[in-house]
Amino acid sequence: MSRELKFKELVAQYCDIKPEQMKGALRFREDLGFSSLDFMSFLGELEDEFDVELEQDKATNVHTIDEALTLLDELAIAG
Amino acid sequence: MTKQYPLTAAQKMHDRWIREYKTQQVSGLSVVAALQYELDFGLLKKCIELEFERYGCMRVRFTKADVNGNVSQYIIKKETRDIPLKDLTGMTLQEADDTMQQWAYQTLDGDDVPMCEVFMVKLPEGYRGFFIHMDHRLIDSCGVMVMIQDIMALYTHYRFGSDYPAELADFETVLQSDLKKAGNEKRFAKDKKFWDDQLDRLGEPLYSDIQGPGVLEAARKKHGNKNLRSVDIERKQLFVAVKDYKLEKEPTKTLIDFCVNHEISMTNLLLLGIRTYLSKQNNGQEDITVQNFISRRSTKDEWTSGGSRTIMFPCRTVITPDTDFLSAAYEIQTVQNNIYMHSNYDPGLILDEIRRRYNTPHDTTYVSCYLTYQPMTASIDNPFIKNIPMHAKWFANGAATKKMYLTVTHTPDGGMNFSYHYQTAELVEKDMELLHYYLMRILFRGVEEPGRTIQQIMDMV
Repeated sequence: MSRELKFKELVAQYCDIKPEQMKGALRFREDLGFSSLDFMSFLGELEDEFDVELEQDKATNVHTIDEALTLLDELAIAG
Repeated sequence: MTKQYPLTAAQKMHDRWIREYKTQQVSGLSVVAALQYELDFGLLKKCIELEFERYGCMRVRFTKADVNGNVSQYIIKKETRDIPLKDLTGMTLQEADDTMQQWAYQTLDGDDVPMCEVFMVKLPEGYRGFFIHMDHRLIDSCGVMVMIQDIMALYTHYRFGSDYPAELADFETVLQSDLKKAGNEKRFAKDKKFWDDQLDRLGEPLYSDIQGPGVLEAARKKHGNKNLRSVDIERKQLFVAVKDYKLEKEPTKTLIDFCVNHEISMTNLLLLGIRTYLSKQNNGQEDITVQNFISRRSTKDEWTSGGSRTIMFPCRTVITPDTDFLSAAYEIQTVQNNIYMHSNYDPGLILDEIRRRYNTPHDTTYVSCYLTYQPMTASIDNPFIKNIPMHAKWFANGAATKKMYLTVTHTPDGGMNFSYHYQTAELVEKDMELLHYYLMRILFRGVEEPGRTIQQIMDMV
């Protein structure tokens, strides 16, 4: 399974949008309804699922699906 | 053979209180939901029986504790108990509430026994519904709301032909997932490091009391230790009283607008208000810890699986009085965001680590104030019954494990309710009046001019 699909399946556990319908510009809070707790729990799940270390400042500046995927790609390359 | 599971961190929290306070009463949760409508009790009974099948957490039982005091849980396949009908029509609604309050004080004692009981109730003024009494290790308030909605949805399906409610997530599957996450060693190490780092950076916490520094001074005298930073926990007189204050729609909107405009969550604004009050009461103390409850329900399955997912973590901040209100709010938000990311951790381990490092005397605490903020309104979202008057009420279990526990909820009219549960051993209603009065003044002085410093606000109020 591609990293993008795995990522979107994880997001889909938190909202009512199917992975295949998930557009990159969707915002976690405004469009997908994530609360602060949801978002931070989700970041923790991301770390565990993709075995990466997120920097708090960078991670909390992520707003959209695309931004999160870009950060994940950067971490995968760095790792 | 029925599979047994260890308790989750949230369940352990309640289990620990039961053991420490030596009564299951501290873990009781009770609610009545009744409609001013001639319900068909035969059908209602069928719906409640169905709910026992659909909502696995209602069928959880606990084993006897092993030699180390650890309890396991298992889920029985079918619940066969009767659901009796209690007729309270020969009294006033207040008297009926008082009767149900007495039921809420009862304990669910024993090993391998049901930890959930449901009665159908006929109440005065034509209200008909059901009363649920459960152990907090099985469910939390969000879980109760899901259960009530589901029973009502089943009822309206059979009575009015509405859609059959969607399946609820399987409790056992979600439990297994939670335990698997908790068993992730890498995650555990990260969470432990986060909490240990906080102690490395800030050292031993310092108690701050609602009633001022005299409480810590008295504890120092009693323990013969002038450097003591924690105070004794009341273990014997657990009786709790409740005082509610309503905040009207307009001022509530002022707070909400502030939160929206500055991207601050209401929880963090409330935490700032409480910690500022504690600082004011304790001669400007900068290092303040407030325990904040969070409900770990983020995924869709977590929302509908029932279970006890509410867990408390210490929100510890050191904020200097020259910090402006808005910056202080952001400081709290940063701390809380970090906590949320590490909320799979068992908070009991944080306290164990503190005790190990600082030899904290047995039966003492660093915290006097506990907060729960519930963004969800306690209303039933069912179009078939939305216009029928409802009598819904949460009943205190009557035994407080905490000196003061504030629950903040939104009301259907757009306002907010501040419900203060306080141990009567040390506190009286006047203490709650003062706390609420100052909390409101602090919040509104800060919100109207967020550039004011914490010191200015403390001086103004």
